[in-house]
Amino acid sequence: MILVRESQTAVLERGLDLTDQWATEPFETAWAGEARWFVQFLERGSGSVSLHSQISADGLTWVDHEDAPVSGEAAGILTAPVRDFGHWLRLVVTPAEGTVAPLVRIVLSLKE
Amino acid sequence: MTTPAHPDDTAASLREAIRSSDPHLSKFRPLPRILAHDDFNTGLHGWVELGGNYNGKGEYGSLDRHFRDFRPPQLSTCNFFDVGTHGAMSGTYALKLATRPHPGHTATGIRRLTMSGRGLLQIEAYLAYKAEAVVDPSAENGFGDMEWDGNRHPSEAQFGAFTVATDLCGDDGVRYHTVVRYQNADEDGNMLRQWRYPIVPEPTPREAYEGKVDYPYATDFTAPDPEDWRVYGQPQELCMNEVPTKVNWHYLRWVIDTDKRKNVEVQLNDQLMDWSDVPVPIYEDRYGSLENLLNFYFSVRTLSGQRNFLYLDSVLISADW
Repeated sequence: MILVRESQTAVLERGLDLTDQWATEPFETAWAGEARWFVQFLERGSGSVSLHSQISADGLTWVDHEDAPVSGEAAGILTAPVRDFGHWLRLVVTPAEGTVAPLVRIVLSLKE
Repeated sequence: MTTPAHPDDTAASLREAIRSSDPHLSKFRPLPRILAHDDFNTGLHGWVELGGNYNGKGEYGSLDRHFRDFRPPQLSTCNFFDVGTHGAMSGTYALKLATRPHPGHTATGIRRLTMSGRGLLQIEAYLAYKAEAVVDPSAENGFGDMEWDGNRHPSEAQFGAFTVATDLCGDDGVRYHTVVRYQNADEDGNMLRQWRYPIVPEPTPREAYEGKVDYPYATDFTAPDPEDWRVYGQPQELCMNEVPTKVNWHYLRWVIDTDKRKNVEVQLNDQLMDWSDVPVPIYEDRYGSLENLLNFYFSVRTLSGQRNFLYLDSVLISADW
C-alpha cells in the first residue's frame, strides 16, 4: 500500500480588506513538517505589504519566526515558505502606509 | 454443523462479536452498514468548511455575507498553555472547529455524501467543547452565571452552542434539514444547557439570490430568528470539567429516518431522548442538483465573543439500508 503524505490547504481569509496590520486566526499545525503562505490580491491594490510568520506553543502568545519577512507589491500573489514552526502558526501581514488592498485571500498550505 | 434457524441473527451476532473486539469500533453502536468511520489521526476524512454558493465568476461578493467565513477545520492535538498537548480520546489528533473571537460567529465542518437507500441513518461522535483559555492578569474572574470559585470557571459561560445537523434532499427535489443544538449559555453568560431545534428550514443561497433573505455577518445561519427555535425537554448538564484546558469526551448518537423524513432519537451520554415528535420542516420549493443529498455538519457558535471550539475525536455514520 502506498502511503501518501498528509496535507491540508486552509483558506484563512477570503475577503480581507487590509487596512491595518492583520494577524490570521491561530492554526494548529503540529502534524505538518512544511508550510507555505499564499497571499492573493483579488483586486489590484496599491502600495506594498510584508509577510511574517509567527509561531506559538499555546495558540495564545506569539513570537516572530526566525525567517526574514517577505515583502512585495499589493498585487498578484505573494508567497512565503516556512518550516520548523512548532505547534501553532499564523501570518502577520503589515501594509506600508497608504497601501490599498481591498480584497485579499490568505491560504495556508500544509504538508507532512 | 447445523444450519442456524435464523441466519440474520447469526450474522448480527457475528457482527457484534467482531465489532466489540475492535477497540476503534467497540465504542460505537453502528447500524448495520457503516458509511464512514472518521478517526482524525489519519486526516480530515472529508470534513470541510461549509462554503457558501458563489456565482459563475467565482466572485467573493456573490457569497451570502453570513456564509463567507465558516473557518477551515484543524487537525488538533488539543494543545493548551498549561499542559501542552492534551491529546484526543483515540490517539493524538481530533478535528477542531474554531470560531473567531466575534459574538455570533459560527465555525462549521461538513461531510458530503449521498443516499443509496432510505431508512434509518445514524451519526455517532465523541466530542468535547471549550471556550478559549485566557492568560491575562487584567481579565475578569467571572462571566454571567460563572464566577471563579475553585470549581466554577467563567470559561464555561463563554461557550455558546454546538450543533449537529443534516442537509437532505431526494424524491424529486424535496429538501429538508434535521437539527440538534446544545445551547450551553446565552450572550450574557446565563447558563441554559438546553437542547433545541429550529422550526424553519435553513435560509439558502437561492433564497438570498431571489432577494427573499439577506443576513449580516455572524448571523445564526441554521435559523437566524431566535423565535424560530424551540427547547426540547429539560436542561442537561455536561462535563465541561471546570477549566478550559481539560478535555472530557462525550458520546453523541443521533438517529433519523430518511424514509419518513423524521427524527428518531438523540443520545448524549446517559440521556436518551425521544425526538420522534420533533418537527422536520421541509422547503416549500423544490431543489435541483441535490438528488439523494446526504450531508452532516457540526457547528460551534460563540455568543460571548470568546473563541469557541468543538473537538471531534471520531465520528461514525451508519445506515440500515
